[in-house]
Amino acid sequence: MIDLEFSEQEVLLQRTAVEFFISECPLAKVRELEDSELGYAPQLWKKMADLDWVGLSLPEEDGGAEGSLLDLYVLYLELGRALVPTPHLTSSVIAGETLARVGSPEQRKLVSQIATGDLIVATALMESDGDYGPEAVQLSATPGDAGGYRLEGTKLLVPWAHVAGRLLVATRTGPGPDGTTLLLVDPSASGISLERLDNTAGYPLFAVVFDGAEVAADAVVGEVNRGWETLTPALDRATVLQCAEIVGAGEAVLEMSLDYAKEREQFGQAIGKFQAVQYLCSDIAIDLHLTSLLARQAAWRVDSALPYQRELALAKAQAAEASQLMVRQAHEVYAGHGFMLETDLQLYTRRAKHWQFNLGEASHHFEAAVDAL
Amino acid sequence: MQIRFTPEQDAWRQEVRDFLDAELPPEMGFDVEFDEDEALWEFSVAFTKKVGAKGWLGLNWPTEYGGLARPPIDRMIMSEEFEYREAPLCGSISWGLTAGSLLAGGTEEQKRYWLPQLGRLDLHAAEGLSEPGAGSDLASLKTTAYQDGSDWVVNGQKTYTTWGTHADCLFTAARTDPNSKRHHGITMFLIPYDLPGISMTPMMNLGGGQQNHTYLDNVRVPEEYMIGEVGGGWKMIMNAFYGGGIHAGHAYYERTFAEVLEHCRREKRRGRLLIEDPLVRQQLGQLALMLEQARMLTYESVSNYNNQIPPQFGGALGVVVSKEMRPRFFEMCQEIVGPLSQLKPNRFAPMGGQAEAWYRQSYANHAGGTSQVKRMVLATRGLGLPR
Repeated sequence: MIDLEFSEQEVLLQRTAVEFFISECPLAKVRELEDSELGYAPQLWKKMADLDWVGLSLPEEDGGAEGSLLDLYVLYLELGRALVPTPHLTSSVIAGETLARVGSPEQRKLVSQIATGDLIVATALMESDGDYGPEAVQLSATPGDAGGYRLEGTKLLVPWAHVAGRLLVATRTGPGPDGTTLLLVDPSASGISLERLDNTAGYPLFAVVFDGAEVAADAVVGEVNRGWETLTPALDRATVLQCAEIVGAGEAVLEMSLDYAKEREQFGQAIGKFQAVQYLCSDIAIDLHLTSLLARQAAWRVDSALPYQRELALAKAQAAEASQLMVRQAHEVYAGHGFMLETDLQLYTRRAKHWQFNLGEASHHFEAAVDAL
Repeated sequence: MQIRFTPEQDAWRQEVRDFLDAELPPEMGFDVEFDEDEALWEFSVAFTKKVGAKGWLGLNWPTEYGGLARPPIDRMIMSEEFEYREAPLCGSISWGLTAGSLLAGGTEEQKRYWLPQLGRLDLHAAEGLSEPGAGSDLASLKTTAYQDGSDWVVNGQKTYTTWGTHADCLFTAARTDPNSKRHHGITMFLIPYDLPGISMTPMMNLGGGQQNHTYLDNVRVPEEYMIGEVGGGWKMIMNAFYGGGIHAGHAYYERTFAEVLEHCRREKRRGRLLIEDPLVRQQLGQLALMLEQARMLTYESVSNYNNQIPPQFGGALGVVVSKEMRPRFFEMCQEIVGPLSQLKPNRFAPMGGQAEAWYRQSYANHAGGTSQVKRMVLATRGLGLPR
């Protein structure tokens, strides 16, 4: 059976999410939140938790809804379309799912707090070489004074660190190919400092500097020296969702570009009547549709426990390229108007840059796809 | 959301594979459109007739017309296997375009008479729609037909006629209402080549195949060779594309990709295998992406059919992608294989000189209209932009 449509339950969830974000998170609010200290709306986050969306994929015994990746997929389409700023990806998906799967009983207790939205856990992976993968993890965790670990190094592009109650930090504890260990760290502990990193998307990204910070032995999540491997299932799922977010946002970009092309008149006619402009719009539609097909396939394969490395890598390679093409073509449709901050297009343009790189850019995933052949 | 085949579909795929194992030696896989070797052509006809004898050319057609009434996914599975082995299936104008037109708008009597012949390749039709002044803009065609007694008298010129020299008849369109404009007043005919007044001159194509100019000079066509209703031609052509069922074009890319990959695992450049070269790996990744896009578009057609969902984007998106992808895909293959990929078969040519032919043949991507025309459909019908 080949059926690429969403199930009734997924369609229903999507419809609910569309209406919810239209009323709760219009673009005016997105602009407002971008300028705020927190960067997200705690009330909105709480409402999302009440709808079971914050813990959508977390186990029922931890207060989650145990939904599938395809359930999350449709939610992420709408998070993307409405540009909703939330720490969902890093906290609920990457950290939450990892803790639920391999966490100690003590760590598992945090999962229910993640599901209710009361605790945000930010995942800290990237360092100064900007690579995405275990080799790039150089932040050292050496034996500490109290039988735990002593951390030395700097994490970059850590999302939502300023509102995180815990950080899930990938550290170097041994030689490759993995040799990394995940540590659950309280960011307010001594020897840890945050620095906000202004960026294109206006996304809350931080440098987290570890200057001899000490953590206890029970901070280890999963097995020592197998950190990246431990994190991989959640990272892979998050990668699918990053594709979904791009698709949802792209659909919004396409819709606004079409509206503009129909309204805006030059040379005595709607610019959408010019084939050159029609081409720009069809480029967006094509790339998004292909992204959607590939990402849905990847989501389904993950849900079905089938091998998915090639399909996932190709989906994100496609999505990363589509994230750029869609705004590039939309800016041609909008021309000078799109360059003005008052136009909503730029909100998407800037976030697309974050999504392009987040969880691996196209070249990373082309390599991963060939590796999986 | 699911992409899996049922045990019955797997068994069907195996049946197709068994047939190909028995009837198609690996060295006999070739593209019939681009080879004019007579012995190969005869093999292709014999092979295609064996496929027809099994009822597989009309796999999806109703049984009363010689078909097996199987669902489109079975035809797609068959196409995947045939494409992957480059099975030299000829006669797509017969069992594809002509049969599709009949299914879309033929009378009951016509369908019962013509379809079984087309489905066995007992009747081989050549493509006779395009004219020198009517390509993507087919509605501007100028060939005329007027009635004289029980005959139609046809006059005009057709171009690009594929398989003209091999076929029994010309599947063509003529303007039967002299006062009609554009897509009105067009009628379809299946004109036997042995009628007086038809002549051809060859047009050799870049892929290595022969197409033809066809001249129709007062050809008297008995009325039984008219297809569909008088003036009903346009609708038939527009709805014709079901005859051959869902085509699995991605499987040909899959085969090509496998061959390029094999080449990269075997050949060295700058002291290392191509497969270990980071740049080549990026290029292979891009090829893999195009292949996956093509595959998912095929699967979407199946899904839409199963769910009875009319295709999005005016049905044009997949066509645009496949037309635009083809030259890009083979160009990328050649970049990977390198400068020697421009060599035709000789002892220095990598991959037996195949890559050289891929490039030339990749520009055969305009049948049925250019991607630009399909983009206009996508933009207007699909996205609602003004005409």
